[in-house]
Amino acid sequence: MTRAYQHPLAKILESRIAIIDGAMGTTIRTYGMKETDIRGERFKNSTKDLLNNGDLFSLTQPKLIGDIHRRFLEAGADIIETNTFGATSITQSEFFVEDPREQGGRKDPEFYQKVIENSSLNNLAWEINEQSAQQCREWADRVGSATGRQRFVAGSIGPLTVSLSNSPDADDAGFRVVTFDQVRTAYEHQVRALIAGGVDLLLVETIFDSLNAKAALVAIREVFDEDGLAASHKELPVMISAAVGRGGETLISAQTTEAFWNAVRHVKPLSVGLNCSLGPDLMYPFLSELSEKADVAISCYPNAGLPNPLSETGFNLGPADMARFLGDFASGGLINIAGGCCGNTPEHIAAIAKALEGRPPRKLERNEVAA
Amino acid sequence: MSAAESLPEETKPLRLSGSQPFTQQPGVFIMIGERTNVAGSPKFARLIKEGKYEEAVSVARQQIENGANVLDICMDEGMIDGVAAMTRYLQLLASEPEVAKAPFMVDSSKWEVIEAGLKCLQGKGIVNSISLKEGERKFRENAAKVLKYGAAAVVMAFDEQGQAATYDEKIRICERAYRILVDEVGFLPEDIIFDPNILTVATGMEEHNNYALDFINATRWIKANLPHAKVSGGVSNISFSFRGNNKVREAMHSAFLYHAIAAGMDMGIVNAGMLEVYEEIEPELKVLVEDVLLNRRPDATERLVEHGEALKAAGAGDVVTSEKKTEEWRNGTVEERLSYALVKGIDTHIDTDTEEARAKLGRPLLVIEGPLMAGMSVVGDLFGAGKMFLPQVVKSARVMKKAVAYLTPFMEIEKAEMEAAGLVVKAQGKIVLATVKGDVHDIGKNIVGVVLACNNYEVIDMGVMVPAEKILERARTENADMIGLSGLITPSLDEMVHVAKEMERQGFKLPLLIGGATTSRAHTAVKIAPFYSEPVVHVLDASRAVPVTTSLLSDDGKAEFVAKHRADYEALRKAHSAPRQKLVPIEEARARRTPIAWRIEDLPAPAFTGIRVLDNFPLATLREYIDWSPLFHTWGLKGVYPRILEHEGHGAQARQIFTEANALLDTIIEKNLIAARGVYGLFPANSVGDDVELYTDETRAKTLERFHFLRQQANREGREPCRSLADFIAPQETGLPDHIGAFAVTSGIGLKELCDRFRAENDDYNAIMAEALADRLAEAFAECLHKRVRNEWGYGCAENLSPAELIQEKYRGIRPAPGYPACPDHTEKGQLWRLLDVQENTGMLLTESFAMWPGSSVSGLYFAHPESRYFSLGKIGHDQVADYQERKGMSVTEVERWLGPNLNYDPAA
Repeated sequence: MTRAYQHPLAKILESRIAIIDGAMGTTIRTYGMKETDIRGERFKNSTKDLLNNGDLFSLTQPKLIGDIHRRFLEAGADIIETNTFGATSITQSEFFVEDPREQGGRKDPEFYQKVIENSSLNNLAWEINEQSAQQCREWADRVGSATGRQRFVAGSIGPLTVSLSNSPDADDAGFRVVTFDQVRTAYEHQVRALIAGGVDLLLVETIFDSLNAKAALVAIREVFDEDGLAASHKELPVMISAAVGRGGETLISAQTTEAFWNAVRHVKPLSVGLNCSLGPDLMYPFLSELSEKADVAISCYPNAGLPNPLSETGFNLGPADMARFLGDFASGGLINIAGGCCGNTPEHIAAIAKALEGRPPRKLERNEVAA
Repeated sequence: MSAAESLPEETKPLRLSGSQPFTQQPGVFIMIGERTNVAGSPKFARLIKEGKYEEAVSVARQQIENGANVLDICMDEGMIDGVAAMTRYLQLLASEPEVAKAPFMVDSSKWEVIEAGLKCLQGKGIVNSISLKEGERKFRENAAKVLKYGAAAVVMAFDEQGQAATYDEKIRICERAYRILVDEVGFLPEDIIFDPNILTVATGMEEHNNYALDFINATRWIKANLPHAKVSGGVSNISFSFRGNNKVREAMHSAFLYHAIAAGMDMGIVNAGMLEVYEEIEPELKVLVEDVLLNRRPDATERLVEHGEALKAAGAGDVVTSEKKTEEWRNGTVEERLSYALVKGIDTHIDTDTEEARAKLGRPLLVIEGPLMAGMSVVGDLFGAGKMFLPQVVKSARVMKKAVAYLTPFMEIEKAEMEAAGLVVKAQGKIVLATVKGDVHDIGKNIVGVVLACNNYEVIDMGVMVPAEKILERARTENADMIGLSGLITPSLDEMVHVAKEMERQGFKLPLLIGGATTSRAHTAVKIAPFYSEPVVHVLDASRAVPVTTSLLSDDGKAEFVAKHRADYEALRKAHSAPRQKLVPIEEARARRTPIAWRIEDLPAPAFTGIRVLDNFPLATLREYIDWSPLFHTWGLKGVYPRILEHEGHGAQARQIFTEANALLDTIIEKNLIAARGVYGLFPANSVGDDVELYTDETRAKTLERFHFLRQQANREGREPCRSLADFIAPQETGLPDHIGAFAVTSGIGLKELCDRFRAENDDYNAIMAEALADRLAEAFAECLHKRVRNEWGYGCAENLSPAELIQEKYRGIRPAPGYPACPDHTEKGQLWRLLDVQENTGMLLTESFAMWPGSSVSGLYFAHPESRYFSLGKIGHDQVADYQERKGMSVTEVERWLGPNLNYDPAA
């Protein structure tokens, strides 16, 4: 099914390498926020620590998050991500629901059924997604019109804190803490809220378990179908990005690059790629494999190397290093979208954008339907 | 299967995946394993009905081992809850890495079972099947759902009127389905797999006689007219009327496939372990079978039935082709087999092998700490190298669990016996695991938990976001042996420090383990360990957890592990706290070279220049020069010879070693068991910058060889010189005739044979002793030769030093070796080998990494100037590396690789 209409970002990807922003979580940390800052009035009585639930900052410190969005846009990002990596009932439950294991219990589908039916968690997840999307929209449009360059908002859909492929039970390899339908339901809720908030794109990212990702992709499809977006040709482009280990395998479910592409290809995504992972230095062969097999745009936004708490930035690689690695990928003709994940500040993104300016993107075959 | 031209060049292959990709190859038939189908395998049906899922998993593994490319999984049976069984079985297969590699075919006549199956597949599988049986609307709906999950689909040639039996019906329905799928639903045409119905022939009904041909012809039509579409079928149906006569059935399957594949059939559901090769079908049977399949004569069925009966009567009917390949790995030693089983995640023989190991080693614990732990350590290495993935590590741990479970009753008995004898019995290790406060990341920690639990640890998993006080309280009430902390985000590191401080404050005595993506050895050593007096150990990944916990809980191994651990971490702290040195630029360092006032009287002319070879140098002479102290270090005894012989604690042991070493040395010398060979030379030389040029003769006109030296750049207070070995040779511009010497000696000729002989006699003690002695002799050789060279150079003749004084190097001149502190670049041995033609003259070789072979060898350079002295190069900067790289004609990367420890910067940064 060919789309008569070509998304403006798709056009850009044919002419140059688009830039996607850097890390939200690690950049927030540079602002020195405290527990009271994230709680604000609204969560002041929360029993668990919330400081690392960075998505909440979009509700309690919108100015801070807006500042980060602005800085990434000014650094040259064409695409900024919403601050919604953990904005699902399932991930939020970790911060608001008592862990049954503390009392010798366990997490299982029964536990997560209550989670996905918990209206306060659902409302919170909705609110984060919708508001973060709106905040991004505002900044993207503001900087976009000021610079005369259209900017895009990608709704960030993270991998969750649970795995559909792995059993935490030593006695039962077939056990799962959560079901596919529960995961899909949580994702559907997130997708609807992101769309309501006005995102341009849906980005299923940091995929360490392909089955979790498939649940997200099924959720997206169902939202498109059920909400009439398919019928009215208002489907949003989907971007897909995996986090891989030393062998190019998704970190938890161990699916290798080409196998992964075969499994998600039916979505006809705008792009597929790699992010996070062990940093850029081990990525080349896997990007190269993906670039060879996939007939869509290729994205790459790795961590700034491995976390290194002993280095000044907390990560191994600085702006110049990231610019060099992504420059190498560009020289290899491997990428259409570039940026950074954990450890990448606006300075990193600016360096990457500068290094890739005027560099040709990977060639895209426009006509994918064979004669 | 024989190749066929079923896939023209432009046809798009079917692409599927499990954890690995699967791409259809032109001309290669795809085998879909049928034994995991309750309808196709009574055994499998029984296992599922009885809830024996683990055994059912082994059926899947056998299919993969027997060559199935895809597994057909079907739970359609009245007594089975299809949704539950499909889900559970596929979730188990997902934990079976060897099976999970392959794509799965989810097979059911019930949509809800198919959908349940699709929800378990991380890869791209196949749905079996959809059809027009219930009309176009339902067909579209189901097809759209298949597409939503990203699977390929088998489309049965079935419509509202029923099953297509004839050629015309088959092609009509297939074309109709194809158009809907491709034009309306948006299916990729290569993801459409038609099953035009393989129906049973030789039933006695005349209208069935053409069924095989109808299928084959329909296949040919589909491949020619429906681009990229694939054709599949359930092959065993064809021979259904010969139930109980496997000989005939196998021949029919093979012959049918032979013809269908030629027509373009891409894949089939087969018993992958039970297919006869077409060429090997008995000729008479082949003719009869093909008469039936190709409908070649009206009496074909009768003739085949008759022949089949005869075969059966002769006992051939029951012949079942061996389902299993011989398993070669079963021929190894029990240790090898256990290691293989752990690495490959195979539990089939684990009880037998574990029992064999138990019988061999005597105690169950020795099996765990010995071969099983060794196997797990291989797993850890492979994982670290990116050659195994997490699910395989977990699977290995599960096999380990089986072995441990087998050993448990034996350990119980042993425990009871020990208790009865009044001995203290150690309980199973207990560990409290938690993701620290503020962090919600769970999955990695869960995997560590599973791996530990599989290794017989009691694991108390407290979950995520757990505050320090709760962790410590639980550890106390549970009387845990260890605490393991996990965290993925950087703020968790501070929380871990907090936990460590709390443990110290509350006087805990347990080891603390640290793991998770942001944690590191260095961080643990520098930031966490200093706050807690007990061991704080970083665990790199799940595969490394068990070796650490085992060492920490072992009676015998703990002290050693902890001592080594502390030393390692201390070194890390030192390395970290050592600030990057301030270096002087290389130009300035050169200006600060060793101050030497060059005088001709300090440069004696040697008695000869050129090369001398020493073959079969008398070992008895070398014996006089032996420095014995290191020999005792080989055996773990610290101290200096000869005082060590009188040592209060281990003097007796030292004396015994000394006596036995000398006895062995007597034998070696007497029987010439090893030989010493060497080569050395003296050459006219001058320094040129930081290089030293060697000349062919005293005219110094022609350069023979060139050594490249490095210079200290550390800015030491007191304006110490920045030394280089080049400083000790008169610079060219002085015009003074200086010399340099070079040598390479070995006492390792024949050593390997000697040690092999000892080992063959299970005499490891003397094998190690012989190696240690050879090392001593090589060093003695270097010392002895140095003495001779000093004499030949003239300046040594007046020496009058005792052997002890020689060992203390109280003489003039030095003999530094490439790869040692003064010139750490091993590659300089290359010039030395060339210069002395070492290989030709002595048989000594340089390996790729510039190590010397045989082992007991020493090489180096002689410097004679009275000011020459040993020093350590220390750190060097970018500027010197750039200069050195140019002098050597080596790439910067290569220089950085050889000089890694000496770089004052991070070459990766």
